[in-house]
Amino acid sequence: MALEPVGATAPQRLDNPAARLLPIATTLLATVISIQPANIPGYAALTPAFTLMAVYHWTIYRPDLLPPLSLFLVGISQDLLAGAPPGVTALMLLLARAAVIRCRRRFVNQPFPFVWAGFTMLTGGAMLFLWTLHCLLDGVLVDFRGTVFRAVLTISIFPIASYLLGRIQRTAMGAG
Amino acid sequence: MARACEVIGLSPPRRAAVQRVSLPLLVFVSATMIVLGKADQILFESLRASVTDTAAPALDVLSRPVAALGHLVDRARDFVAVYQDNARLAEENERLLSWQQAALGLASENARLRELLKLTPEPPATFITARVIANSGGAYVRSLMVYAGHENGVVRGQAAMTGEGLVGRVSEVGSRAARVLLVTDLNSRVPVIVEGPQQRALLAGDNSERPNLRYLDAGTGIKIGDRVVTSGQGGVFPPGLPVGIVASVDGEAPRVEPYVEMSRVEYLRIVDYGLANGLPNPVPVASRSGRRADASTGDQPGRR
Repeated sequence: MALEPVGATAPQRLDNPAARLLPIATTLLATVISIQPANIPGYAALTPAFTLMAVYHWTIYRPDLLPPLSLFLVGISQDLLAGAPPGVTALMLLLARAAVIRCRRRFVNQPFPFVWAGFTMLTGGAMLFLWTLHCLLDGVLVDFRGTVFRAVLTISIFPIASYLLGRIQRTAMGAG
Repeated sequence: MARACEVIGLSPPRRAAVQRVSLPLLVFVSATMIVLGKADQILFESLRASVTDTAAPALDVLSRPVAALGHLVDRARDFVAVYQDNARLAEENERLLSWQQAALGLASENARLRELLKLTPEPPATFITARVIANSGGAYVRSLMVYAGHENGVVRGQAAMTGEGLVGRVSEVGSRAARVLLVTDLNSRVPVIVEGPQQRALLAGDNSERPNLRYLDAGTGIKIGDRVVTSGQGGVFPPGLPVGIVASVDGEAPRVEPYVEMSRVEYLRIVDYGLANGLPNPVPVASRSGRRADASTGDQPGRR
């Protein structure tokens, strides 16, 4: 499932306002999917971090269309809707952006396994960060197994999400 | 941010400066929000309620296709198991008919005894049925969002149940939607009684599927399979609501398997027993004398 690099280092200028809003819209959609009640036992605790997938994809290919302010607002909305302490997801997404944007040039023109490996590292770091933060906030050692399963599930599902986002990107914005 | 800069007409160097500053600034704002939210639990409550109210209609619509897909899977599963189900239900029906006779006898005897004692009847409970439109999606919070709020008569502290048993309690209420903190959440504390040994305890969630029983006396003789019901201590829930059964007695604390499978809840009954008014608002951590809800205070609201 090699994803063709779209939107190289110099981002293509888009005049279509709908296409410009696509990264924010898909990231918001990922947030909504994250809190959907699914009739699967144990799913709620292991829900993959869909928002992180969208943020990783767009930060690599079109960081100009997913600015920090939009990440902050999406993160705060997710926290408020999910009943989590406000700021936790926002902080995680902003730090993820900061980490990805430093080395995005290494991923832009690379085959998909490189992109996936980058996401694996990012997810590992993000999950560890969330676990540490919740341990500090709740004042207890939260069971680490749930975090590990969630990370594995997130990494496993990423190729599908990346393929779909790539298709959407190509359709709406064109290649290159 | 780039678009915002274009809109307000910033020059390119200034635009670059704004973009450079925005990320660290927003990281700082997020971190500050986490600290403030932890220090003062009611600070973001109105913001949370208004965001929830705004998103509730959209979440209601979006959750329907997922629910429909779930029904389709259930229906296919039912179709495959129809013969075994029928045999099981016929046998169960026979058993329940004898229980019905016993219940009718007990109800009439109970009514006669109440009349003899001139017992004041308890006020009847009122129900609000609400659809679950979102869950907490993550490893650290166990809550559900339901599509009913102030407008429908939902009040903080009311019990949320299904026909099988207790699910949790209403922890936040907006005008159209409300949040239910599940009994499995890390911050949930429900005073319960273990039937059999008649032992009082505190059912404490730890984000796992099975909450544990705390503050039990040593050597109380609790067995696997003992029923656990609310004790009514603390005045939030009435006594006798079914919660679950004791599932394990090894390790530090016995664990309880709730009657309700939380991930399969689609509709909830929010039950008003006329007790909810007694539930106080959350108190900022800084002004609390103790750190967490403890046994003496019973069911206290957590951080959410």
